[in-house]
Amino acid sequence: MSKIAIISQPDQGVLIDVSGCTTLREAIEQLTSTLQVSSQFWKGTSIALNLGQLELNTSQVAQILAITKGVGAFPKQVFSKSGLTRTALKDHGVPLGTGEPMGLPEIDFDRMTEHELTQDEAQEQAVIDEVTSAVVYEHDEVDLSIEKATEDDDFVTSETEEEATQEAPAVQLPPTPAVLYLRQNLRSGQTVSHKGHLVIVGDVNPGAEVMAEGDITVWGVLRGMAHAGIGGNLDAEIRALKLQPIQIRIGHAIARSPDSPRVKFASGIKFTPETARIVDGKIKITCSSID
Amino acid sequence: MSGRVIVITSGKGGVGKTTASANIGVALANTGASVALVDMDIGLRNLDILMGLENRVVYNLVDVVEERCKLRQALVKDKRIPNLSLLPAAQTRDKTAVNSDQMKKLCAELKELFEFVIVDSPAGIESGFQNAIAGAEEAIVITTPEMSAVRDADRIIGLLEARKDEIQQYRLVVNRIRPQMVKNSDMMSVEDVLEILSVKLLGVVPEDEEIITSTNRGEPVSGTDNVRSGMAFRNIARRVRGEDVPFMDLDVQNNGWMSRIVKFFSPATRV
Repeated sequence: MSKIAIISQPDQGVLIDVSGCTTLREAIEQLTSTLQVSSQFWKGTSIALNLGQLELNTSQVAQILAITKGVGAFPKQVFSKSGLTRTALKDHGVPLGTGEPMGLPEIDFDRMTEHELTQDEAQEQAVIDEVTSAVVYEHDEVDLSIEKATEDDDFVTSETEEEATQEAPAVQLPPTPAVLYLRQNLRSGQTVSHKGHLVIVGDVNPGAEVMAEGDITVWGVLRGMAHAGIGGNLDAEIRALKLQPIQIRIGHAIARSPDSPRVKFASGIKFTPETARIVDGKIKITCSSID
Repeated sequence: MSGRVIVITSGKGGVGKTTASANIGVALANTGASVALVDMDIGLRNLDILMGLENRVVYNLVDVVEERCKLRQALVKDKRIPNLSLLPAAQTRDKTAVNSDQMKKLCAELKELFEFVIVDSPAGIESGFQNAIAGAEEAIVITTPEMSAVRDADRIIGLLEARKDEIQQYRLVVNRIRPQMVKNSDMMSVEDVLEILSVKLLGVVPEDEEIITSTNRGEPVSGTDNVRSGMAFRNIARRVRGEDVPFMDLDVQNNGWMSRIVKFFSPATRV
């Protein structure tokens, strides 16, 4: 079980949380394996480190810093609950973090079952059965032209009411969590998780996993696993230039690709942008091209 | 003269790493270069069998690393090609017998003695693989045109990419392709594989029964004429040396007497 967590924070960069590790050796092992797997991602990233209760002296802190330096990242601040570690960190000139570091979003499994109509265990089983037995996602051609027309209608009526002469009200921007923007392909075995929206310019290969509390946008082919809306945000969407995922998950809902055809050979990728979102409790895929 | 250390890896087992190592090694040696083949599959050694040298093994890689013998004593000269040598693995130990630093030191030593050091990596992503890539500067990733092999190759490429400072170049060989099955859409094509892996292609080797007989005889196919897989490996060796060799035409072979006559008269560079 991994005892390391990577959380993206809006103002502090990426937080690497090794407070789950109980010994220095564990922390070093976890750090090394995680950072080296996607070292390109770390170069030049501003990172913060949470050492939790780990008691480290100066030379042990040096070992940890060496690993981060090895992939081109230097921690901008380090959180530690141990006095000994804090002194050692000061010796190395590393800025100490104040206050509490961000924690992992808690996936509240109890809250998820509330989304079922009843808290019946049979209901839970039904969800799992559905995933394994039936094809859960359906393709739907949403006629977006109709929606557009309604918007225009609104605009027209407001003009006739001569509200158009007044200054247009400022666009209400929803509070936007930070967006993590990655410009690389994600290979099998690589994972990215982010507390916000996630944009990947590149492919997500089978075996790779992307997770976000917000939306996931893949400017490429999504062939791996994507989980949006972690933490219960059921409005989250997953979109890609080509959706060929092994599994997609939004919030607590899981959908898998149909069993056949497994792989389409005779290649020549034809990009068909699609978005997956929850409609009536199920994940539905719609074509994203506006006619 | 510092040689090139090339590791041959795949992630998945059974896709043809050892076969490729033997054949590329033999083909390179036949172009005149001095080549060392290193078997890093400690505990499950096979490279000596493919080379037909299993009865000539006295010392092995672990003996060298544990300083029970000198490197030159462990290197087995090939029975036919004088500029090709094999450093066998140990069969009675396992992959914990060697660590990355020892491997780096060994590769540094071999680099000074040979123009090419071909390291045959074991399957997997754990210490066996980590040790095999420790001393290498280039990698050749082998895959077969199947989703399982491609996924494992993708993982390996991800791990190689993470070591960009050490491994400067990695290229792909698609092994055991059956052109007829690809035509019938029963097998992934090379393009399908490249679409997922997004990596430079080094070569394509067709499925060939001759590989089985060559293993039994201990004579790699790239040393034999008129074998298609051997031809493919020879082309790969030439590309490793920097030559720009066009890819073999792997279309379904017509073996009627007319086509054989036509082939007899056509220039040798066509195949």
